Amino acid sequence: MRTSQSCAALLALLVNGAAFAAPPLPAEQLSIEPLPSKSAHWVYVIDEAFFNEIDARVRLFDGDSYRHLGQIDAGFSPGVIQSPDGGTTAVATTYYARGGHGARTDVVEFTDNATLAVAGEIVLPPKRAQIPPTYFNVAYSADGHFVYVAYITPAASFGVLDPATKSVLAEIDTAGCVLVIPSGPNRVSSLCDSGRLLTVTLDSAGHEAARALSEPLFDPDADPVFIQGVPSPGGYTFVSFLGQVHSVDFSGAQPSIQPPWSLVGTAERGRWRPGGSQPGAINAALGRLYVTMHRGGEGSHKEGGTEVWVFDLKTHQRLARWPMAGSRLGAVTAVQVSQDKAPLLFAAGDHGAVGIFDALTGQLRHVDKNLGQTPWLFLNP
Amino acid sequence: MHPLDRLFEKSSRSLAQRTSRRSFVALLGQALTGSLLLPLLPIDRVSRAEAAAADPDAAAPPSHSAIGGGKRNVARDDPQNCEYWKYCAIDGFLCSCCGGSSHSCPPGTAMSPITWIGTCHNPADRRDYIVSYNDCCGKTSCGNCACNRNEREKPLYRLSRNNDVNWCMANSDSNYHCSVSVILGLAEQ
Repeated sequence: MRTSQSCAALLALLVNGAAFAAPPLPAEQLSIEPLPSKSAHWVYVIDEAFFNEIDARVRLFDGDSYRHLGQIDAGFSPGVIQSPDGGTTAVATTYYARGGHGARTDVVEFTDNATLAVAGEIVLPPKRAQIPPTYFNVAYSADGHFVYVAYITPAASFGVLDPATKSVLAEIDTAGCVLVIPSGPNRVSSLCDSGRLLTVTLDSAGHEAARALSEPLFDPDADPVFIQGVPSPGGYTFVSFLGQVHSVDFSGAQPSIQPPWSLVGTAERGRWRPGGSQPGAINAALGRLYVTMHRGGEGSHKEGGTEVWVFDLKTHQRLARWPMAGSRLGAVTAVQVSQDKAPLLFAAGDHGAVGIFDALTGQLRHVDKNLGQTPWLFLNP
Repeated sequence: MHPLDRLFEKSSRSLAQRTSRRSFVALLGQALTGSLLLPLLPIDRVSRAEAAAADPDAAAPPSHSAIGGGKRNVARDDPQNCEYWKYCAIDGFLCSCCGGSSHSCPPGTAMSPITWIGTCHNPADRRDYIVSYNDCCGKTSCGNCACNRNEREKPLYRLSRNNDVNWCMANSDSNYHCSVSVILGLAEQ
């Protein structure tokens, strides 16, 4: 016994001695971490921070390494969009001079996506639509020369901005039609109470040159569409409360409305429905549509999906039903899919956790519980 | 200022100067009763729930009401519970959990002059009421009793039925704090 105690003491002395003999750690230098090279598997997570809503933020997250790469501040009830070249994040938001109160400043802030530093701003009239994030709160023209911002006061209009000169060029009255759906270098469409699209064409100075109303896209009384349109080849796709899919080709001078089709069969209609804050996502190369689906009735359109349904955009066939029950996410209120050929599906649960799935197989790869309290929208890089 | 804004502000100020809140509410209730009655008839939740029980693939009742019958009745009488009958299309923090009540704003906040409108069924007297959902403004999010119910709620393009937009938008201090539900009148005569 005494011998073993002596051996232990000798061993401890030798180990400690070796530790003391090792060279000390070098001094560290405080630095700013550079962003790694952009990946198709990055995602911008827009956290409305609804429980302290003046402090919304955008978190940049890597779906491969599961690392938080950085943050963009987003103020109160923001709209967020990427520039066509992917180099800039535009955040249309509101700040109050004294934090929770005080003078209101509406502004579009531009963040350099290479550094995540704010690179400029345009102060707006205090009219910005303070609504949950969609693709159409703030938008770029296809050539990046104009930025459009939806206004609601509650009169509806939109602002036309020049991101090069950091100036407001014009305000266009939209006669009750809302949001800014961009197309081409100079066209903005808005969703109307009648179910039609109003399209305003701008001149080179950003002023109105022409306007036209489309044929009805949907029936707002019988089956309204979610305003969270999904980018799709040539335009955007809108899913309705009852599961109709309305695709619009915006590549021409006026929107071209495609024949609608249904996510649900006759027996499922009115029973299984899309729902949530970002109920659909499309991988354009694969031609696949992902939709959050739940069993529910009238008034359940903000409930998250207990399943994600996958569809082929050409055949309209349902390829898969992925139950979310085992994912620890709860009901899924927002989905986004990366645009590469080995895509990831990002899914936000109704308690704020974000799941990363293989978008080909539905296999859950990871759950992150620290991407914000209310992650209501995902944007691809 | 946009001409529509100016018109809206002028008419709102003029109305506020000429009428009391109660008479405004009564007038609006009368005006809305005729025009909104038919499209706002309440859905039959009882039959839906029965259908759900009989058919495993039928539409499930909304998750916020997925509680036992006895508890549901208690919840529908409790203004601090999301199941309270007047909250059928409210989306936000209940002012009754924030220093106000189901129809009053907390101290130090400001009422939104513009609102969205719903029709809710009161199971106690079996009547349908038109309710105005106002936001209370000027302080940051209350954060208590988050409640999201959407019976007959419509997307943003049907603005007067939408509960997503910040209805404090026209206030001088437009920050959103919490929401109330104010009875305007009966939805049936």
